Amino acid sequence: MNDILVQTSWWVPCYGLLGALLTLPWSMGLVKRSGPRPAAYFNILMTVVSLVHGTLAFRATWHQEPVQLVFHWLTVADFDLTFLVEISSTTMGVMELVTSLSFLAQIFALGYMEKDFALARFFGLMGFFEAAMSGLAISNSLFLSYALLEMLTLSTYLLVGFWYAQPLVVTAARDAFLTKRVGDILLLMGVVTLSVLAGSLNFPDLYDWAETATLTPLVATLLGLALIAGPSGKCAQFPFHLWLDEAMEGPNPASILRNSVVVSSGAYFLIKLQPILNLSPVALTTLVVIGSITAIGESLVAIAQIDIKRALSHSTSAYLGLVFIAVGMQWTNVAFLLLFTHAIAKALIFMSVGGLIITTNTQDLTEYGGLWSRMPATTTSFVVGASALVGLFPLGCFWAFERGLDIYWYDQPLLAAIVLTVNLLTAINLTRIFRLVFLGASQPKTRRAPEVPWPMAVPMVSMIIVTLLSPLMMMRLSLLPNLAYINKSAAAALVLSGVIGCSIGATLNLNRSMARPIQKPLRVLQDILAYDFYIDRLYRVTVVFVVAYLSQITAWIDRYIVDGLVNAIGLASVLSGESLKYSASGQSQFYMLTILIGVGILGLLFTWTLW
Amino acid sequence: MLSILLWIPLIGAIAIALWPNFQSGRQVKQFSLVVSVLALVWTAVIGSQFDIAIAGSQFQETIPWLDSLGLRYQVGIDGLSFPLVALNSLLTCIALYSTDDEIERPRFYYSLMLLLNFGVVGAFLAENMLLFFLFYEIELIPLYLLIGIWGGARRGYAATKFLIYTAVSGIAILGSFLGLVWLSGADSFAYQPDLAHSLSLTQQVLLLGGLLLGFGIKIPLVPLHTWLPDAHVEASTPVSVLLAGVLLKLGTYGLLRFGVGLFPEAWSVLAPWLASWAVVSVLYGAFTAIAQTDMKKMVAFSSVGHMGFILLAAAAATPLSLVAVELQMVSHGLISALLFLLVGVVYKKTGTRDLTILRGLLNPERGLPVIGSLMVLGVMASAGIPGMVGFISEFLVFRASFTAFPVQTLLCMVGTGLTAVYFLLLVNQAFFGRLATRADGKVVTLPPVAWSDRYPGILLALLVVLFGLQPSWITSWTEASITQLAQTAATPVAVLAPSASAVLGQSSVP
Repeated sequence: MNDILVQTSWWVPCYGLLGALLTLPWSMGLVKRSGPRPAAYFNILMTVVSLVHGTLAFRATWHQEPVQLVFHWLTVADFDLTFLVEISSTTMGVMELVTSLSFLAQIFALGYMEKDFALARFFGLMGFFEAAMSGLAISNSLFLSYALLEMLTLSTYLLVGFWYAQPLVVTAARDAFLTKRVGDILLLMGVVTLSVLAGSLNFPDLYDWAETATLTPLVATLLGLALIAGPSGKCAQFPFHLWLDEAMEGPNPASILRNSVVVSSGAYFLIKLQPILNLSPVALTTLVVIGSITAIGESLVAIAQIDIKRALSHSTSAYLGLVFIAVGMQWTNVAFLLLFTHAIAKALIFMSVGGLIITTNTQDLTEYGGLWSRMPATTTSFVVGASALVGLFPLGCFWAFERGLDIYWYDQPLLAAIVLTVNLLTAINLTRIFRLVFLGASQPKTRRAPEVPWPMAVPMVSMIIVTLLSPLMMMRLSLLPNLAYINKSAAAALVLSGVIGCSIGATLNLNRSMARPIQKPLRVLQDILAYDFYIDRLYRVTVVFVVAYLSQITAWIDRYIVDGLVNAIGLASVLSGESLKYSASGQSQFYMLTILIGVGILGLLFTWTLW
Repeated sequence: MLSILLWIPLIGAIAIALWPNFQSGRQVKQFSLVVSVLALVWTAVIGSQFDIAIAGSQFQETIPWLDSLGLRYQVGIDGLSFPLVALNSLLTCIALYSTDDEIERPRFYYSLMLLLNFGVVGAFLAENMLLFFLFYEIELIPLYLLIGIWGGARRGYAATKFLIYTAVSGIAILGSFLGLVWLSGADSFAYQPDLAHSLSLTQQVLLLGGLLLGFGIKIPLVPLHTWLPDAHVEASTPVSVLLAGVLLKLGTYGLLRFGVGLFPEAWSVLAPWLASWAVVSVLYGAFTAIAQTDMKKMVAFSSVGHMGFILLAAAAATPLSLVAVELQMVSHGLISALLFLLVGVVYKKTGTRDLTILRGLLNPERGLPVIGSLMVLGVMASAGIPGMVGFISEFLVFRASFTAFPVQTLLCMVGTGLTAVYFLLLVNQAFFGRLATRADGKVVTLPPVAWSDRYPGILLALLVVLFGLQPSWITSWTEASITQLAQTAATPVAVLAPSASAVLGQSSVP
């Protein structure tokens, strides 16, 4: 029985896909009588099936050797494309995380999207999303992972563009797709190169190859940089981070997944790539550099945002930056732990945000206020999520941060400082949001604010419990270090940074009606951060400008030079015919003269050498 | 057996032209559909008898015709031509099905469509170079008339341009064939891979140059492409479907069959240049497409770009790359046919293809939601998103060409990225956003799309996904023949490569 479960666990992603397909009759408008709800139920049912199957398989793989399943997909000439799927307790655990978060997000969506006419389409996309991510969890082949990442790109585009009638959504969907696509194309270049160099695209073969490979430094560097470009786009790292902020225009249940597991899937892929990246020290350094820039920069940017979803999404980029640092320093355990704890905490916070938005119909932080007594469950989930996100003992991220600090404390004090700074800034940001949203006087939009309906409250409360229990879970999975061995000073610094952050956030002067400072330097600083270092303008004057002008120039060449030449030849032949027709006068003298001159010229030419 | 595939459309065309008792255009359409479905069924019958393990041509038929000229009626089918013949039969059915019921001069129109099918099938089946040339020219006449009579406002210009270009292409090809037969001293025009072996390399390069010019116009490659956007913009939707889906493949097929097959040594000499030419084509097509505001022109320029990938892989001429060529031909045929069909529906319902005007067509009540969703699928397939056939064919193209031409391959990948740019612009402009209100402030309600307008698109979309998940269902047909072709291409190269570079006085890297 267990064997069958393990052997068939690659069905789990297929369930999600099947759920997505089952929604088609409703989303295409073939079935109208029942309304779109059955589609949602089908999809949730399929997620439950994958959850059950995944759980059973997870139990079966516990303390077992990893099983590799091989699928021969395409054999052409001398090229054999196989998919390797790894079934181990780690991969099944990741898949469990994906499916259970997807399950909760879908229940949440039942409430959040209740009044949306396109409910069926939304659930179809969620099923697709879930399938791609759970497939990514068990994939052990670079090719398959690449393909699934591309599918994630596509479904992100469609989910962000879900409310396609709004202008901001249109640009957000475009930016999300194109930014990720740039990363994906660079990644594809890396995949093709690796396929030629290593001969196989399965990770175990690639690892073997990477140990013995001898590449010139230039090739190794280019390869490494190409490979990290894809995850950078997925994880919204500098300079590909713009899309995540804009993607917050999409429906919130998708944002729950996007900010927790979708960005993490990019990092998960990066962790898988890590042994190959060891070929190129430059790539590893680059990882650390872009991770550091993103972590600090985005933490600062988050504080200047007044849109609640954006303020939190920038902090997602910052945390993923820390993951990038960990991978670049070759501490994949830290990266893994951080991904896990961050995903759970962020999912909870975004559930709470969803509750706020559906109740108050606003995302503007300055329009909130005094909600703590009106929405207890939402408030609790925000508080619990926020405390799990900052290094508060003994909740989730404390352990991840602590593990990282332990390692960096003596060798890399700079990196330890970055971790502490991110924690500090995040604490400031979360306290600021908490004060603006839940404390203070009621505002017009928050005066009548009932608690969310049960389809949203149930996932919220379950997620609170999961978050609170996550230290216990980690203990069961033996992910936690022994308390006796932890670095006391590091732990103290961590807690202290959180406390300082909270107190700064608590004493910060927050004025809802006058959100802009009067002093010019402060205002400039606020603008720089609020507009994300004007990174979109940077894109506009560089990449977008180059592509737009090149296309204008090529189109001009096409129209006036290539086509113009063709038309000129046509015109010339027509004109010469038209003008020659006047020589047909009917007078034989004229013809004789023409012949005489013609023969004369010919004769001259032929006898030219004799003269 | 194979000749029946030729007789069905020919007799159908003659019957439609001459049979006096057709009451309406609808009847003619139904009759021609029956004919084309018969041809499709017969293709399937041939497919069921086809042995994929045999590399050479099967079902050969030879009838003496003008032996003094070296012209014989020789037909056969192999793994290189079978997928294209099947694609042609399928797309003819779809093109006929999606033709407007109320079309003017229906009998003339449908008999020309069937004649076109006849010409294309003949060209794919011909095993005699002169016979190939005849079919290649036959296909030109119906297409000229189809564009020139049922086309848009500037149809006369477009049709004439098409005619002159393709005629030049035909002359160049004929010249190469004649030169090859005369110089090699063969007694007929029968296709034999070793025909050019006795020729000097200079002669081979010259003859191959003629073929490249001829087929380069047909494919089309930059800068020989300007007939294509005009022809597409002016042609009606079904004609565009056939033009993009099948007729361009005649060029790439010819390049593979006659270029790689007959002149392997010259091919390997020119290959680096061809790969660079492919880069120019890909990037030029992509950049020009970005600047277009007419949906159809954008799709047409995307064809120019995507055909560049075929040249890239053909230049590498390894077994893998030639299989990739075949797969890319089929995938481009399906995807571009799908895109042209959808653009046609949009044009029919909104009366415009101008991207500066169209907005919000995805609107579920008053817009074209299903057509829009299919469009998203089509453009994503074209941009090479996995799960659809465009991805795996492009991946194989890149994987196979990278060993031979790494720099050119990487540059072509940039072209794939640009594909995403212009198609995303198309979807964002036309389908996203809010459905426009008219100048008088009333909301626009587009006429509903009948299911009969959706079926062809849905069928093609299903095929695109199906072959994307199971590409081996295409590659297995073609692998044996392609491997043989690649081997004939590879053997002399290994022996002659040093002398080849000596003759042209340059190394193999441009």
